[in-house]
Amino acid sequence: MANAEVTPSVPDPPGGRKTARGLSLGRLGQYGGFLPAIVLFGLFFAAPLGLIVAYSFWQVVDYNVVHDWTLDNYRYFFSVSTYAKTFWATIWVSVAATALAIGIAFPFAYWLVRYIPKRLQKVFLILVILPFWTSYLLRVYAWLNILGPEGAINRFLHWIHLTSQPVSFFLYDRPAVILVLAYLYFPFAALTLYASLERFDWDQFKAAMDLGATPFTAVRKILLPQIRPGITTSVIFVFIPILGEYLTPQLVGGAKGVMIGNLIANFFVGAQYTRGAAAALLITALIVVLLIVFRRSLEVRDAYAP
Amino acid sequence: MSAHAAAAQPAAITLRGVTKRYGGHVALKPIELEIAEGEFFCLLGPSGCGKTTTLNLIGGFIAPTAGEIFIRDERVDRLPPHRRSVNTVFQSYALFPHMTVRDNVGFGLKMARIPSSESAGRIEEALGLVGLETFGERLPTQLSGGQQQRVAVARALVNRPAVLLLDEPLGALDLKLRKRLQVELTQIHRDVGTTFVYVTHDQEEAMSMSTRMAVLNDGRIEQIGTPSEIYYKPNSRFVADFIGESNFLEVETGSQSGVVRLADGRGVPCNSSATGRATLMVRPEAIHVSDPHDAPESSLKGKIVQTSFLGSQTRIAVSCDGVSLPLTASQFGRERLAARELTPDREVSLWWDADDAVLLAKESMEEEVE
Repeated sequence: MANAEVTPSVPDPPGGRKTARGLSLGRLGQYGGFLPAIVLFGLFFAAPLGLIVAYSFWQVVDYNVVHDWTLDNYRYFFSVSTYAKTFWATIWVSVAATALAIGIAFPFAYWLVRYIPKRLQKVFLILVILPFWTSYLLRVYAWLNILGPEGAINRFLHWIHLTSQPVSFFLYDRPAVILVLAYLYFPFAALTLYASLERFDWDQFKAAMDLGATPFTAVRKILLPQIRPGITTSVIFVFIPILGEYLTPQLVGGAKGVMIGNLIANFFVGAQYTRGAAAALLITALIVVLLIVFRRSLEVRDAYAP
Repeated sequence: MSAHAAAAQPAAITLRGVTKRYGGHVALKPIELEIAEGEFFCLLGPSGCGKTTTLNLIGGFIAPTAGEIFIRDERVDRLPPHRRSVNTVFQSYALFPHMTVRDNVGFGLKMARIPSSESAGRIEEALGLVGLETFGERLPTQLSGGQQQRVAVARALVNRPAVLLLDEPLGALDLKLRKRLQVELTQIHRDVGTTFVYVTHDQEEAMSMSTRMAVLNDGRIEQIGTPSEIYYKPNSRFVADFIGESNFLEVETGSQSGVVRLADGRGVPCNSSATGRATLMVRPEAIHVSDPHDAPESSLKGKIVQTSFLGSQTRIAVSCDGVSLPLTASQFGRERLAARELTPDREVSLWWDADDAVLLAKESMEEEVE
């Protein structure tokens, strides 16, 4: 107990005497706190993921999964040109939708932080998350009504005599998917960007302009480098879920708007579990690569060293 | 003083009828101000008096509601901040945390597209000016508050602006460091010769650093002058009260020269040409304290209320006949020895040289009450 004399501020554990057994139990107790997390993580994340990895290297013979290790599922995916094309399309549609969502969210958050009094900012933020109070499906169907042949846009175009027939350009193709996805994920982008812009010291912005920077240069050289972690977070919050979207592409994209989420769903519906698992893992691999690339941007220490 | 020698040169800054209103609230009543080339000019006043508004108007961060602003005879009130030849040291320093000290200082040069061969030398020169030559590669967060403040000064001066604006740059520092940096800033001012416009609410800071200063109150300039003019010849009760300590007496000026009269007819020393009711102001250190029978004719008799020994001075509060508030007198140096005998309840006489008393117009007092 020489230790206790050196550091008297550390209280003895209740019960006082430390036997060898008590010590090891205490050590165990230290890590015991992780147990619920470990169980939860193992049961609901590690195990299913392991299963999918295993499935992706197995085979289906006569609708039964056979435990023969093979790379056929991956080879198959890239040998069918439609699948490969869908894979790349998924990436660019996700990039475009993310860019659109953030492209709208950044000016919005900037405007909110700089020009709106603090009290009213809260009101606007509530308005941003208001759509979450209605179902996802409902919001997508609302867009069907706006973009559809009898929708608001077509009726407006007809009303101003620009078109005589309903135009289907707005629906059942990738532009519609990008638009609706950007709408659906705008709140995530807006909230994360608001959080990082709100903490920014705007005197720096004044200082940059004072030193001869135009407002645009000040944003580029002073603001953006410092809110990089916030931008990365919003990219992750928006881009990753969009990669796995399948309801929106199905409802507003139709046959031409298919994304990899739809392929995966179809594989599983068609009992092609191993091919579905391989497709799902391709998306997962892509996300892991992205997270590694973004890893450095997430280190806040660069900008705010202690 | 270079300020007066350079009278032929255009003024560094001229404000003509500059006004700022926010909706119904008048932040700045029409003000006239001329700051000469090379001055260290302080804008002094309590918070909300309009001093920072004035600085922001010169810097271009807000636009005047009316009036014209000139920098070296060039009209600038319609120009954005990045088109004006002024640079600002902010109270929060506003250093860029993601850039090294060198990049911070070089930012303005980069914006002005100065070739890097030239800018490298100018950055080193600016860092040398503030004594931070060896800190170029550090990040701002790795510096102390005083060092950050000096980086902010270097960053603003490196662009060789016509005017350097400083917005309470020492406000966030502790007293000892403040005092040291006050000396450093005046030294830097002397070295570079640039016009400094310095905003502060600390009268001691303004007095010790400025060549001239303006005292602002309630969106209006109360008085412009050198520190000693402002201290010895305040033109309003507000200025007298805000700068240093003062005793005020309500008096009636009459025909007798060198004497004004209190309400009860008692005479006190004062040189004045004006007639009518006025407020007499006299500084504590100008008041002589003596035994009643050693006092001249026009002196005030009273009783000591309290004696406080403050080290460099001893302050005595004396309650006088015919004066509502006790008067404060300060005793320095040799006088202080005598002060030991100035115990409470002792009868004493107070007087001052007629030249040390200042008469203030009555209306400024009424306005303050309102």
